Amino acid sequence: MSHYLFVQSQDGFTETRTAQQFQLAGQLQEAGHNVSLVLVQNGVTQARAGARTEHFDRLLAQGVRVIADEFSLRQREIGADDLKPDIAVGDVDVIIDALLAKHKVIWN
Amino acid sequence: MNDKKILTFAFMDPPFESERTITFFRLLDAALEKGAHVRVFAYEGAVALAFAKQQTHGNAVHGRDNAAENHPLTKDWILALQKKAASKALGFEWINCGLCVDERGVNEVVDGCGRGGPPDLWRYASEAHNTLTIGTR
Amino acid sequence: MKVLQVIDQAYRTTVEEQDDAILWLTRSMLSAGGDLMVLLTGHAVHYAVLTRRQPALILGEWRQTEPAEIHRDIAGLVEGGVPVYAVLEDLQDRGLEKLEVQSHVQIVSRQQIPSLYEQADQVWHW
Repeated sequence: MSHYLFVQSQDGFTETRTAQQFQLAGQLQEAGHNVSLVLVQNGVTQARAGARTEHFDRLLAQGVRVIADEFSLRQREIGADDLKPDIAVGDVDVIIDALLAKHKVIWN
Repeated sequence: MNDKKILTFAFMDPPFESERTITFFRLLDAALEKGAHVRVFAYEGAVALAFAKQQTHGNAVHGRDNAAENHPLTKDWILALQKKAASKALGFEWINCGLCVDERGVNEVVDGCGRGGPPDLWRYASEAHNTLTIGTR
Repeated sequence: MKVLQVIDQAYRTTVEEQDDAILWLTRSMLSAGGDLMVLLTGHAVHYAVLTRRQPALILGEWRQTEPAEIHRDIAGLVEGGVPVYAVLEDLQDRGLEKLEVQSHVQIVSRQQIPSLYEQADQVWHW
């Protein structure tokens, strides 16, 4: 089993590539790998409750661990209570932890 | 370097154009905070991040003069991270892709930033515990 | 250390740099002993079906004399031992599937991408 962490700066509202990015993350998860997604920058806009994000929501339903960057959330005035269920709030040190643990860390 | 881990980062964005620049610097800071040595390969527009002749300016729209505006400059961020690294006995190395520097004319860089090429990225990555590349859009 | 270079954009730098910046970077790292693979996905699948030199830019009296030759660069990577893959569905999405794909560029489906990610020690997405 491999560990993947995707740093998700792209969002589905402006970048259609996110559909394939999320599909790939889901495929890796289904293949038995440990997959996490850290939302940064406008990537956090997908995390707001009520945001219409079919591909992102599917990834959440698949059980991929999703963390939203607290700084990016704060810039956009999105509080922890405003998020979809099962999304944790964290900091970019989660990304560093993954790098130090020799996970495959990939920027989207 | 001591037995602490080295993390390599490759980046492409110039200053002042993208939110990616902020996340990148936050990652460098977080890496030092976690006790990792940091190595940066700056490619394409990112070579301007270390340009020594960046200058602050005032903000007439907001009624702030140069001093009051205290405008961020990425060269100062690099210097701050160098200082943080030194205080923690960590390495902080920065190599600009030389051809990228030449075509942009940003040859004057802050102390501690050097010049190299793609083989340096491979060397940095090969010697590092792990590498993160952040492309541009 | 084996690295998968994932390129999903195209034409960002091909005029000003007279190269795709990441294809060029990949070829340059070969000389340092890089063990690399390239995945062309998204718009970068266009590179797999190019056949000609890029058009020369003309601005006033300035005329470009060395436009990029992407198809040559792809061939150079393959000849240098770098496997180059292109994603089938990305070709199909763009109506490119009936065009001839450059020799030795391997077509993979989206279902096969995880296996490429697994083959690499690191994945560098540009």
